[in-house]
Amino acid sequence: MTTLTRQDLNFGQVVADILCEFLEVAIHLILYVREVYPSGIFQKKKKYNVPVQMSCHPELNQYIQDTLQCVKPLIEKNDAEKVAVVIMDKEHHPVERFVFEISQPPLLSISSDTLLSHVEQLLRAFILKISVCDAVLNSNPPGCSFTVLVHTREAATRNMEKVQVIKDFPWIVADEQEVHMPEPRLIPLKTMTSEIVKMQLYVEERAQKT
Amino acid sequence: MDELYLDNIDEYVNDHNKIVTYKWLSLTLGVHVNTAKQMLFHYLDHKRKESSAPLHATYLVTGKWVENGNTSHKVTVVREEQLEDVKSKMSLTVSVHVYSVQKASLKDSGPLYSVDYDAVKDNLNSCSRYSAIKCADAVPFAPGDVRPAGDSLQFPPPDPNQIKAPSFNGPSNQTASKPPTKPQPKGIMGMFASKAAPKKQEPAKEIKVEQKEDTTTADVFKSKSASKSSTMSNFFGSQATKRTEKTVKEEETSSSSVKDKSESSPPAKKVKETPNEEKVKETQPKEVKVKETQPKEEKVKETQPKEAKVKETQPKEVKVKETQPKEVKVKETQPKEEKVKETQPKEAKVKVTKEAKVKEAKPNARSKSKRKEPSDSEEDKMETKKRRRIKKPQSDSSDDDDVIPDSPKQQEMRKPPPTPERLLKEKIVSQPNECKRRKRRRVMKSHTFMDEEGCIVTEKGYESESYSDSEDHVPSAKASNVPARAAPGKREDEKKTKKKISPPANKGTKQASIMGFFQKK
Repeated sequence: MTTLTRQDLNFGQVVADILCEFLEVAIHLILYVREVYPSGIFQKKKKYNVPVQMSCHPELNQYIQDTLQCVKPLIEKNDAEKVAVVIMDKEHHPVERFVFEISQPPLLSISSDTLLSHVEQLLRAFILKISVCDAVLNSNPPGCSFTVLVHTREAATRNMEKVQVIKDFPWIVADEQEVHMPEPRLIPLKTMTSEIVKMQLYVEERAQKT
Repeated sequence: MDELYLDNIDEYVNDHNKIVTYKWLSLTLGVHVNTAKQMLFHYLDHKRKESSAPLHATYLVTGKWVENGNTSHKVTVVREEQLEDVKSKMSLTVSVHVYSVQKASLKDSGPLYSVDYDAVKDNLNSCSRYSAIKCADAVPFAPGDVRPAGDSLQFPPPDPNQIKAPSFNGPSNQTASKPPTKPQPKGIMGMFASKAAPKKQEPAKEIKVEQKEDTTTADVFKSKSASKSSTMSNFFGSQATKRTEKTVKEEETSSSSVKDKSESSPPAKKVKETPNEEKVKETQPKEVKVKETQPKEEKVKETQPKEAKVKETQPKEVKVKETQPKEVKVKETQPKEEKVKETQPKEAKVKVTKEAKVKEAKPNARSKSKRKEPSDSEEDKMETKKRRRIKKPQSDSSDDDDVIPDSPKQQEMRKPPPTPERLLKEKIVSQPNECKRRKRRRVMKSHTFMDEEGCIVTEKGYESESYSDSEDHVPSAKASNVPARAAPGKREDEKKTKKKISPPANKGTKQASIMGFFQKK
């Protein structure tokens, strides 16, 4: 039983890796379930021992991967408070927002051998919940696009701007128009608590979508 | 039976927004699966009469399916809308029952699998206690039992905590578990069908329990996997899941070892399987399965990406295969059984697809492995992540045919022996710097010329040129990033190559990016 702390950078990286992999799968799944892209580009793959739908489109995949590459350092340092996948309509007004609130305990420690399989189980539950979320959400208007917003703690974005993690993939401060949603309805989806991370997923939906 | 279960199901479906499958319900409430099916049916009926919130249901349909003159036993999970359609197309419907009830209308069958996964995993040792498939002779081996002699496929049982052969997924699925044996289809099928399905001739496979995996979960999973694979075919296409006459060696183990419910056992196959079963019988069941299902899984997995790509409309084979390998590999707790099982119902498909797609296996091996990367378990993450990162440039150099890998570079990297994983990359150049040999490298070169419209066009392209280490390092940044652009100007390839080099080129350009504002602080 090893006890690793956050000072052990490897472990922080491990947690960030786990979360970023999960977020990648979750984003693909959200795009599939909410029909942001036609379902033909999606292909069944396996993650956490269950089938998930992932996109095959190279540019979309690259975009999502680059996004998460940039988010990863924030998660490592526990600067990322929320990662939001925002679905916007044609006028770039947000219609739906899937928010992953992430918090990590200040002193991470692994104290059990089954930790990772436990985490896997919890993440599997998240995936399942996303798959059935269309029961509680209204359908989106056609022609939607998506973007990823990250809410950071303190002033982590300043560092992000100074150091481009990926060249030519700059992050900018989001417009108010992209962030503000009038009359949002909040629908909680899932919460998980584990030794290495606490995560909550909820959906904010605009009252009138079309 | 009392009516409390209606409230229970109502709570699960409406309040928790869960997908309630009959299997999950039976494990959660502790009732026999047939009772669970009836409960779901009554619940659905009840709710429909009350006409409250819209509910969706899926059904499991089993029957004879004739296609192109071939008759097969089809087991499929269908959406309610397709139920009548499928029933009418079947030449003989053997059984129909509710598979699941949920509020959401499912786009694909993936969540149905996920729902049962955890439920079964939690009840691993007894997940078939409510199942309808029973076999009196299926008794686990005592831990110290001697294996039968004449076993030519001995190999040590894989360490549960090691991993991850590419075809296996999850932390501890290596341990073999024996699927339960000796089916008694007549008695079981009689419960469901008016007409008994042909008997499975499966030998009594001894269950090896030394890996202490659950043996009896196999049948549960088998039927599930069978239905899962049929689900896919049904969701996407109308072709029947054919149980062809091809017997695959791998399948023998699966088929023979698993008890079949009528739903999950295609009768046609069974006949063929007898010779296989015998053969299986004499070999170490577990190891045979490991061995046989393993290559199959690998192949299946290999073909899986291809098939998925091929076309969605290639129903059964494609979809079956997709779900099949997943399920096979997925069950870490019942590795063998499931694989076995899965292969059994889907053996034909696997085989067909495998043969059809074998030739595509090679080129897709990379994509397969790449896709498998994400599914590595987190335990390995530390090592593989680091390894992967470091490995990338390394495998880059090995990708390039003209470049001879460096030993100094390898030492510097301290690479572990490379696994067969090869990531798909669109790398442009790999440059092992320490090598002191003459090599060819690809260099960005510009050509300026006049095109047919009289415009001057500059194209940048990669060309091979030969060089040796004594020459200067290739300049990575092209300062002259901007070619002479005429008005009609840009060629496609120009754009493409520009895009490739623009990341490094931006380093050298004098044009200030917006980030320059902040950097000056």
